[in-house]
Amino acid sequence: MVSDEILRTHLQELRRGTVVVASLVALRRPDYGYALLQRLSDHGFPVDANTLYPLLRRLEDQGLLTSEWNTEESRPRKFYRVSDSGESVLRRLLADLAAVHTSMTALIEGADR
Amino acid sequence: MNTLTDRYLAATLRSVPAPRREEIATELRASIEDMIEGRAAGGQDTTTAEREVLTELGNPEQLAARYADRRLQLIGPTYYLVWQRLLKLLLSFVPATVGVVVGLVEATAGDNAGGAIGAGIVAALQVAVQIAFWVTLVFAVLERTNPSLRLPEWSVDQLPEAPVERQICLPDTAAAIVFLVLFAGYLPWQHFHSWVSDDQGGNLPILDPALWSSWLPVLLAVLVASVALEVAKYRAGRWTWPLVAVNTLLDLAFAVPVAWLLLTDRLLNPDLVERFEWLRQGDNLDTVATVTVVGATLVVLWDIADSAIKAYRNRA
Repeated sequence: MVSDEILRTHLQELRRGTVVVASLVALRRPDYGYALLQRLSDHGFPVDANTLYPLLRRLEDQGLLTSEWNTEESRPRKFYRVSDSGESVLRRLLADLAAVHTSMTALIEGADR
Repeated sequence: MNTLTDRYLAATLRSVPAPRREEIATELRASIEDMIEGRAAGGQDTTTAEREVLTELGNPEQLAARYADRRLQLIGPTYYLVWQRLLKLLLSFVPATVGVVVGLVEATAGDNAGGAIGAGIVAALQVAVQIAFWVTLVFAVLERTNPSLRLPEWSVDQLPEAPVERQICLPDTAAAIVFLVLFAGYLPWQHFHSWVSDDQGGNLPILDPALWSSWLPVLLAVLVASVALEVAKYRAGRWTWPLVAVNTLLDLAFAVPVAWLLLTDRLLNPDLVERFEWLRQGDNLDTVATVTVVGATLVVLWDIADSAIKAYRNRA
């Protein structure tokens, strides 16, 4: 029986890369930090706030996201959306994720035989 | 007004690069207020909600490091192994060399043999600390400035030889040689600086000075030959029968003359015996001699048996 600690580390490793993909997918529709956090966790991608907020800025620095300030509401909010280059990177990432899934399925079926 | 949020923002922004500080501040403040609002909507009072939100965001310095993409490690995996190797290499010989040099200078120029060892050790320790500090500092700076260093890639050619299983390892050999050299050095040393003084406060050698023209040179030669044997033993890496034979010969060449001299009352300086009344009383001197000879015999027998057993184990 493995400890919860080990299990948690492996789950964390598995989830780490998917946060970027999930954020890029979600930001095909422009959104601001907190709302994105909510949307992601509603869809089964629980992310820590202290991970997501810096991540959004990093993706923006890398040119994968663009941003725009919205000052019409009660407080100024920075809306992020996927840029063109972000979209092409996202397609590659999704293709790879699908490939991982396909390979894993094949491996599982192969192991059953 | 100085709310917890204000304090949290100030603490976070302190270590974020200045050009983006304001923008991050506005965005982070909005995010925090959103989060508090979200919790308050669930029925919590705002003070508790604020505390919980800030706790969830965690240590502000860590958050700032994430914003700035800063590394929270002194030396990361890119440089760690190079750092470790360089440090080991330098520490393996530089402090010892400096210590010996300083000690020698102190002993010759300072005319202070006892202080020389201390001065050498202090110098060696200081050099070791300095090396560790500066090497680590350079690598910590490299880690942060991130220059594209073309460090040589690892290749299979760098693999060291697999260690041969040795019966005789370097620390043992080094210890034995150091002991032999110190012991050989003590023989002339005691002639000039023993711990005993005569009536006039002059120095009283422990060993009979008459032996210098007879047995002491022989004993010194045996000690030098023993050093050579240690080296040969290390090079062989294991006990062999010729080594056992030479070892036995050298053991006996030292122990037999010493025992014989001791038992015939010719080893110790007669003036020294004269100086200690207890030694002169009754059979005391003979008892000391007998106990010493028996002890030495046991040590020699043990050494010979030990080497023979090890050589026997090595038979093909």
